[in-house]
Amino acid sequence: MKTKFLYFTLGLLILAFLLSGCSGGMTPSSWAGVTTDGETAYVAMASHVYAVQVSNGMERWRFPEKPDAKKTFFAAPTLTADGQLIVGGYDRILYSLSPSNGSVNWTFEDSKDHWIGSAVAGDDMIFAPSADYNLYALNMQGKLVWKFTAEQALWGQPVIDGTNVYFGSMDHKVYALNMATGKLVWSSELNGSILGAISLGPDGVLYAGTLGDSVFALDTSSGKTIWKYAASSRIWSAPVIGNGNLYVGDQAGKIVSLAADSGKENWNIQPDGPVLGSPLVLSDLVVIGTESGSLVAVDAEGKIGWSQTITGKLYSTPVLAGDLILVAPVEGDVTLIAIDQNGTQQWVYTPAK
Amino acid sequence: MWETFIITPLTNVLLWIYQVVGGNFGLAIVIFTILIRLATHPLMAQQIKSSQGMQEMQKSKKWQDIQKKHKGDKEKLAQEQMALYKELGISPFGACLPTLIQLPIIFGLYQSIMRALAASPMQLLNLTRSLYSIFDMSKLIPLNSHFLWMNLGQPEKLFLPFLPGVGIPLLAIIVAVTSYFQQKLITPPSANPGDQGAAMTKMMAIYMPLLMGYFAMTFASGLAIYFIAGNLVGIAQYAMLGKLDWKNLIPGAKKGEIITK
Repeated sequence: MKTKFLYFTLGLLILAFLLSGCSGGMTPSSWAGVTTDGETAYVAMASHVYAVQVSNGMERWRFPEKPDAKKTFFAAPTLTADGQLIVGGYDRILYSLSPSNGSVNWTFEDSKDHWIGSAVAGDDMIFAPSADYNLYALNMQGKLVWKFTAEQALWGQPVIDGTNVYFGSMDHKVYALNMATGKLVWSSELNGSILGAISLGPDGVLYAGTLGDSVFALDTSSGKTIWKYAASSRIWSAPVIGNGNLYVGDQAGKIVSLAADSGKENWNIQPDGPVLGSPLVLSDLVVIGTESGSLVAVDAEGKIGWSQTITGKLYSTPVLAGDLILVAPVEGDVTLIAIDQNGTQQWVYTPAK
Repeated sequence: MWETFIITPLTNVLLWIYQVVGGNFGLAIVIFTILIRLATHPLMAQQIKSSQGMQEMQKSKKWQDIQKKHKGDKEKLAQEQMALYKELGISPFGACLPTLIQLPIIFGLYQSIMRALAASPMQLLNLTRSLYSIFDMSKLIPLNSHFLWMNLGQPEKLFLPFLPGVGIPLLAIIVAVTSYFQQKLITPPSANPGDQGAAMTKMMAIYMPLLMGYFAMTFASGLAIYFIAGNLVGIAQYAMLGKLDWKNLIPGAKKGEIITK
């Protein structure tokens, strides 16, 4: 009898253990990407790209209309000057959508892996980074012009300066390629994977954060390091420039302001949780989200002006749409939240089922 | 609990092996699978022993007599069955309990492989939180997920120069074939070949390999490597215990008796 009881209890324990392993299965594989033209916000989140009216938070359209298990979207869509919305999916397809109604203009299907990073668009070319190690340069009709193969996956949005396209890679390198030809101008090895976008300052300096707990300032002409800042932890997203300073958050939850020309730390704060997204830099505020769900606004001296707690985790970069700040939490109740610059919530958007 | 006791330790062991073998993730999966199978080998041996005991009991005259005697009384039959188990020293749970104990490890093994491959931002975030401080994250990431012709984070298809545009799911085929061989080689002959259980075993021997092949074709090829390594190691384990029945592979051949060492 004792043995039976022992087996029964053990069986129950194992079953409970197995079930605890199943419980985490629904976590999304990334977090939302948000872009806006000021009137409409385009949110790539899981099974859809949603177009949401900024004035009232009402949905204008969604793509695809019905969820398709094979299609998921997380990279922030890119608006082009000629009126296209470029968005890559985990189905390995890069879509050009009409921003007005979400209809498909064209698709590009050469990628052999997910589109995790956003594309960047010039006047007549689109540069799209793929996790299949390639940067694809397309014309505005979605035809391949050239591609460049890095040594590892590309997850971050490139930047362009009219001559070159610059991007970071998981292979620890920042690359500069000629925009027209795709020829390598230089590559510069840093101390860790570059997961997010890199930034291009008005002074022609590139800024990149790495998984090697560092921020680098690189010379665009040679790729040489101008300065390096040792952060307290891993950096997931692009440092952002504003008012002569550079703002960046890290996985330990520290937000720092650095002098853009020297990398000298102006101030740092550590609100309440890991920071994975880039900050939104306004004229007198820097707004940044934390994994704990806090949206924190910091002034030029590093003092917290206001903090708004949101249900969910804030991994995405907040974006400015008119006077509103848009944030897209994950594992929360809503998909998009609009907050004014005093920290007051204006509306929320939850997609209808 | 699952995270702390299963996925995190397994992921760290897998990545430690990855570093030891010089950054070859495919080889790390194979070694990892062998180590896990070796660690759970005593459980497997126990399971085989119990299954065999039950098979032998099913064929025994005594059990057949009991069945005849209590044909219409299920309760009494169950009582007599338990008594017979006790008499022969067979634990009815001995066949399934070791499998139950192995299941979390097998699930965890799969999850740790997917965790280590970190093919999406959320997976990478989880990986950064899973790693023990012995690892230098900046050097470890990104993992080299290429093995032979495969990207282990992606479903596999082999493209041959003379077949442009046609991808052959070679790993999925190997998974299905090795699963079929394993099923055939390790399944003992049924005590009552005509009964429902035997028919189900026969069907499983066909459907399970197809299902495994489908999984291998659909999920990351790192998982297919794990399936193949697991199947081959499983066959080797049974061979070491002298429990393989090669006659099962030959269609029409007389099925052998349960081979005992």
